[in-house]
Amino acid sequence: MMSDDAHLLIGTALGRTWRRENKTESYVVIPPALIITDSDGATWTLGTEYNVHMEFNVLRNDKDTGEFASRIEYQRGVLRIYGRDGWRTFSRNRRHFI
Amino acid sequence: MREFSISSGGVTVAGTTTLIFVNPAAAPSVNLEFLRFWVGQTANATSAQQRIQLETQASVFPTLTAATPTKLKPADPNASVITGGTAGAAGTAGINASAEGAGTKTTVWEDAFNVLNGWLHVPTPAETRIMPAGFTQGLGLYFPVAPATLTGWAFGEVFREV
Repeated sequence: MMSDDAHLLIGTALGRTWRRENKTESYVVIPPALIITDSDGATWTLGTEYNVHMEFNVLRNDKDTGEFASRIEYQRGVLRIYGRDGWRTFSRNRRHFI
Repeated sequence: MREFSISSGGVTVAGTTTLIFVNPAAAPSVNLEFLRFWVGQTANATSAQQRIQLETQASVFPTLTAATPTKLKPADPNASVITGGTAGAAGTAGINASAEGAGTKTTVWEDAFNVLNGWLHVPTPAETRIMPAGFTQGLGLYFPVAPATLTGWAFGEVFREV
């Protein structure tokens, strides 16, 4: 079994465990990126459920956030999603989008 | 709508490799509309750029590890018309080719990505790629150059039977 260094950022997406040395760089956008790793080690991606606006469900560590978006962006440590409601930012308490 | 996925993870690739190859069934049958492709490196990767292609390939097809499509809707009573196969034959799917086969590859989509971020390609409906039943070629997700690190790859695709 693989042992992990304590400093590694470890999240899950698409049923897999993703390990990263550092959080994702600024201005990385899903798509065309597949994943974003935030400073908590959480792994973000778009799921396969979609709405009529061709927005996909937003997954954090493979858990559905209940949000739909066409884009997920990481910018200077802030995670934002873009959809029909415009840009929204993941709250500092890690519970919802504002 | 009946959608299916084929995916794998923790894969060690040989180098220039067909990651997934799906060959539509012989006509008459359903056509395959490809909705999503993804590739990423789950291991603690070192930053590197990697080329990726979608390509069609005629016979002779790659030699693969058989991969059976998974239903996206578990309650769907029917399995996909595509079954797992190692020879890339019509109506079969496989992953991680061990031999590429002599058939001509035609690149239909070319891109590149950083392995730390992975690659997600979600064509909007007008841009989805449809492989018709009876088309004598399969669709491959292909590394045209060997990645810097061969281990720890995860990849997949979603298709719909139409």
